Amino acid sequence: MAQIFDRSSNALARASLVLTGLIVIALGVTLNELQRSPWVTRQGQRPDQPVPFSHKHHVQGLGVQCQYCHVTAETSSYAGIPPTKTCINCHAQIWTNAQLLEPVRQSWATGQSLPWIKVHDLPDYVYFSHEIHVNKGIGCASCHGRVDQMPLMYAQNTLQMEWCLDCHRNPAKNLRPTSEIYNMAWEAPASDRPVWCAVGDEQSGLPTAQSVNCVTREPGVEVASLGMPASGVLPQAKYEKFTSQDELGHFLVDHYKIRTPNELASCEVCHR
Amino acid sequence: MSEMKNNLVGTIEPAPMTLEQVREKLKNVRGKRYWRSVDELANTPEFQAAVEKEFPGSPHGWGDEVSRRGFLKFMGASAALAGLAGCTKQPDEPIYPYIKAPEDLILGKPMYFATAHPFVTGAVPLLVKTDQFRPIKIDGNPEHPYNQGSSDPFTQATLLDLYDPDRSQHVTYRGENREWAEFAVEFRNKVISTKDGTGIYFLSETITSPTLARQWKAVQAKYPMATLVQYDPAIAGTALSNGLNVQYDLAEADVILSLDADFLSGAGFPGFHQLVRQYAERRKSPEKLNRLYAIESTPTTTGLKAEHRLGLRASEIPAFAAELAKAVGVEGIEAPSYVWTDEQKKFLAALARDLKAHAGKSVVIPGLYQDASVDALALVINTALDSIGKTVNVRNGLITQSSQIRDFKGLLTDLNAGKVDWLVILNANPFYNAPADLNFAAAFEKAKITAHLGSHMDETGQNAQWHIPAAHFLESWSDARAYDGTVSIVQPMIDPLYGGKTAHHFFQALLDEPGLSPYDAVRETWKLVIKGDFETGWRKTLHQGWVEGTADLSDITFSALQPGVSWPAPAPSPKDSLEIIFRPDPNIYDGRWSNVGWLQELPKPVTNLSWDNAALISGATLTKYGLEEDDIVELTVNGRKVNAPVIVVPGHPDNSVTVHLGYGRSFAGRVGSGAGFNAYLIRTSDAPFYAVGSMKKVEGKWGLAVTKSHFQDHRPKLFGGQGNGNNSLEADEAISERGIIRYATLDEYKADPGFANEGETHSTTDKSNTLFPNWEYKDNAWGMSIDMNSCVGCNACIIGCYAENNIPVVGKQQVRIGRNMQWLRIDTYFEGDLAAPRAHFQPMACQHCENAPCEQVCPVGATVHTPEGLNAMVYNRCVGTRYCSNNCPYKVRRFNFLLYSDFETESLKLMRNPDVTVRSRGVMEKCSYCLQRISAAKIEADKENRAIRDGEVVTACQQACPAQAISFGNINDKQSKVAKLQADERSYQVLADLNTRPRTKYVAAVVNLNPELQAGPVEHPAKS
Repeated sequence: MAQIFDRSSNALARASLVLTGLIVIALGVTLNELQRSPWVTRQGQRPDQPVPFSHKHHVQGLGVQCQYCHVTAETSSYAGIPPTKTCINCHAQIWTNAQLLEPVRQSWATGQSLPWIKVHDLPDYVYFSHEIHVNKGIGCASCHGRVDQMPLMYAQNTLQMEWCLDCHRNPAKNLRPTSEIYNMAWEAPASDRPVWCAVGDEQSGLPTAQSVNCVTREPGVEVASLGMPASGVLPQAKYEKFTSQDELGHFLVDHYKIRTPNELASCEVCHR
Repeated sequence: MSEMKNNLVGTIEPAPMTLEQVREKLKNVRGKRYWRSVDELANTPEFQAAVEKEFPGSPHGWGDEVSRRGFLKFMGASAALAGLAGCTKQPDEPIYPYIKAPEDLILGKPMYFATAHPFVTGAVPLLVKTDQFRPIKIDGNPEHPYNQGSSDPFTQATLLDLYDPDRSQHVTYRGENREWAEFAVEFRNKVISTKDGTGIYFLSETITSPTLARQWKAVQAKYPMATLVQYDPAIAGTALSNGLNVQYDLAEADVILSLDADFLSGAGFPGFHQLVRQYAERRKSPEKLNRLYAIESTPTTTGLKAEHRLGLRASEIPAFAAELAKAVGVEGIEAPSYVWTDEQKKFLAALARDLKAHAGKSVVIPGLYQDASVDALALVINTALDSIGKTVNVRNGLITQSSQIRDFKGLLTDLNAGKVDWLVILNANPFYNAPADLNFAAAFEKAKITAHLGSHMDETGQNAQWHIPAAHFLESWSDARAYDGTVSIVQPMIDPLYGGKTAHHFFQALLDEPGLSPYDAVRETWKLVIKGDFETGWRKTLHQGWVEGTADLSDITFSALQPGVSWPAPAPSPKDSLEIIFRPDPNIYDGRWSNVGWLQELPKPVTNLSWDNAALISGATLTKYGLEEDDIVELTVNGRKVNAPVIVVPGHPDNSVTVHLGYGRSFAGRVGSGAGFNAYLIRTSDAPFYAVGSMKKVEGKWGLAVTKSHFQDHRPKLFGGQGNGNNSLEADEAISERGIIRYATLDEYKADPGFANEGETHSTTDKSNTLFPNWEYKDNAWGMSIDMNSCVGCNACIIGCYAENNIPVVGKQQVRIGRNMQWLRIDTYFEGDLAAPRAHFQPMACQHCENAPCEQVCPVGATVHTPEGLNAMVYNRCVGTRYCSNNCPYKVRRFNFLLYSDFETESLKLMRNPDVTVRSRGVMEKCSYCLQRISAAKIEADKENRAIRDGEVVTACQQACPAQAISFGNINDKQSKVAKLQADERSYQVLADLNTRPRTKYVAAVVNLNPELQAGPVEHPAKS
């Protein structure tokens, strides 16, 4: 009987073995990349919203403070999406005929909610709390990015577990004074951009911000433009100068009583 | 389908056993020997087979046989897709913000509102937790003097009743949808046309609302011929529907006697919350122990908690009470002649002596479901013992002074005479629960127009022409009185889900302002009572939950019942006759909560029966009738018959059968319809609580779901087990020295206060004796302490846990194969003689071991130790190997074999606790020490830069407990309540010899026996 397979089949067989291996590896790499890709995480995507609301215009342009709309960021797990009333507060007076704002007026007239699409959407098994982060020195921009520069809202970060843990394992690298939480332009201290912090009487039962005071101008030094010494609620001698995020971060970890990485990275902190 | 599953999957059958076997087993056993079920005691091969597997039948729980090839195919596909599951993309989630946000609302933070659960035995004042104005958890009002924050299974479960998807949703007339206004107009016009209300009849549940009573008075003034009949099957004929308002104060009572009064097992007994709290308070410290005697016709937790218990047939109790009255020295009492056994005589004599010795500090509590003479005799005895004004108070009548049974019969007479033009039924279900001899259904046909207000389209709703959906108490305004007389305003938490109406709407529709809302009506009632500026006072009333000054009840004199006036106690029925005792069900009461899955699945106290009622009998009676457990018997009373399954209850009097009401419903809803048998079919108006009947075996087995032999440990010998498959906690208790139940008599305790840890062979804190690294707990270390002396086994904690932790209901067939999901169970350990046992109730949930066996075997790290010592479950990691459960000696882990959680039903979504994950299929779960509450407290404390205060974290079970048996807190804080309790020398750990170092400790019980009765339990000769 004639041979079914030619000698050249051997080479083909070997090649196919190698190829199979490569395909498996490629599949693994692809899935790994896919899992972290914006297609899955929606990082950087701008979903279609009922109104093309511009954070840039309202925050940078008009100087509206974060909490004007996101009222419960400091007091609840949920920062809050403003009710239509908040929009109408101003838009009953200005841009009252703008076509773009038609859905807002519709909502106000009919009592139907504006159906926004969640941009920062954590899975339902994650129990995230805004209040504890905001009260312990994590600024809005640390997670949400430079919202003041976003004409349309998108997620700057993946909000994946590895991203959360990255900070929970070393919170010092992202901590800032609680007075700077809403400062979109806050940058980590550097030698040309130092921060002075002082600790007053630490009283149990009082929020962190009341016992630690941080300023970005040297306390006691006269500022030409103001004609008076820069602010500093605590005695001048108590202020300590920080020129790097690492120093400041560790100072704040101690005085804001941030729990240890071991505690912060424990499963039950976010999952119940 | 369920039928099929039943055949395919092995079930825990109550193992057949004979009394002889049991007696043999018990022979020569004296002293501490504990057992949880009669089967275990007999240790029959069937029982061994049943406990051999952890989840009996479960490994073979496949729908059908899967071939090896098929299996590989499935597994191959699963493996290939396993990684992809993680790559799913989340769908776009919309946010619907408010148009105008409510001013006080902080989204993400719960709000609490005071209200009350209007229940027929007295309102339970509540503080309801709402999330975005949806009630999600019900608990007692902690500031209310009556219940001080405690609740009960019924009250807890009314939450599920509110969200019951089977509630009726439309006003209907002969099955067609109509509007309320159409009914109201027709109703009003008809009543106006009668001029004086002739022919207008109302049949209502017991009216407990002062406003409703006031509205009815106004209706009566306008239409004097209109008739109101109140009928509650569990109340009609008791002292509650027609009697004196006698209240008991157990705080100062040294000796308590229950004459068939089940005051420790649930809100079915008036004053339950207060009585349990006062009883338990005296049990906390051995220095001030009280002593409880119980004489009862059916075993209840009250009897099993008692120091001394005497089981008597129901008809013997009035005669016994009369004998007791004579024995304590009441003049002029006639006791029916009856032959008492020596044991009974001895009990009577010792009891009488003890009562007299504690005159002024004793209480005799008569049973609700006893003959009226028992009430009278108890009052006479209390008077003779000088207890009136001290531990017993006779209060001004709060109670509807009408005999419900007489009124109901009157209604039937008028119906049959054709006098009834309109019959309006308000929240009553007579088609189901009217006495069988009155033939309500036939009489009902004679009413011209019938209307039914009810939460469900129940048996009565099916037959009435008009049906109006009733609003739940969490949806409507009303008011109600608690046991102590305090009036609470029932304020709604949510708009009526289905536009329900209340009885207030019906009465108001006949008055001058027919549109006046219940809110305005309630305000009108209290305008005269609330002092000062009304708006301020009203707001304060709503805020605190009760109307100031309404508890002030003056005691009345009761000339009619001065000592010496006898009330003839009826003679007991012949000793060889069979008595049938009717009681409302401990879980679903008179049937009103038939469709509440939590209550259906809850193992009943004492019997651990779930999803059914049964004919409860003693072992001797079982033998006498040649029965086995789970057999079906036909019960006959006066020619009326019903078939029921049989179950043995230790301590049940012989020749007597207890049946619970509330089951066998045909239109309860998806949960309750068809469960159990309808005992109302043999209950007549002349014998509502016990009747003489007969019993005979019929073919077949019922298939009861009893949870007693579930959750057994079956480790091999090498690892501390017995190796025979029967290594339950209770078998440990009975055979080895582990001592799961430890208790002492008061004398033993005085001689040796450290008895609970005596003979403990293993150090409880041997940190070196483990292969695994030890944890250090620097900050908080959460721990629990459970007082075995206080726990009365009422199950309030379990329902509280259901609501708090989104625990699913699995259904009867799944319970039968050991898959019930309660995170917390109450193990009942019987001790001593089968006919006269004592019992110990042990709440058992995850012990949060510091050296946890489950953590060590999880291959995927899904059960982990937290820095605060919690044993946490990470549901997303769990792949369902169930190794953890296998290795857990306490058997407290629960596995979602199927998709038990309901992810579909809209109304149930509103009920869920948003802080707890709703678990899906294939995931292990267990008690988390209410992790979500710990987290909330931690965030609050961290924000304020302080430590968590003692008492700031309260677990759901602790919160619900009326006996305050559970304490929780940080054991690193030596000043905390729980640390002090755990340091008490009576505290012990269960299975400490395994070196698991559990964080839950139990405080061993101390019982205060009467020295005269202290000798071991009497072995009863088998009666034939």
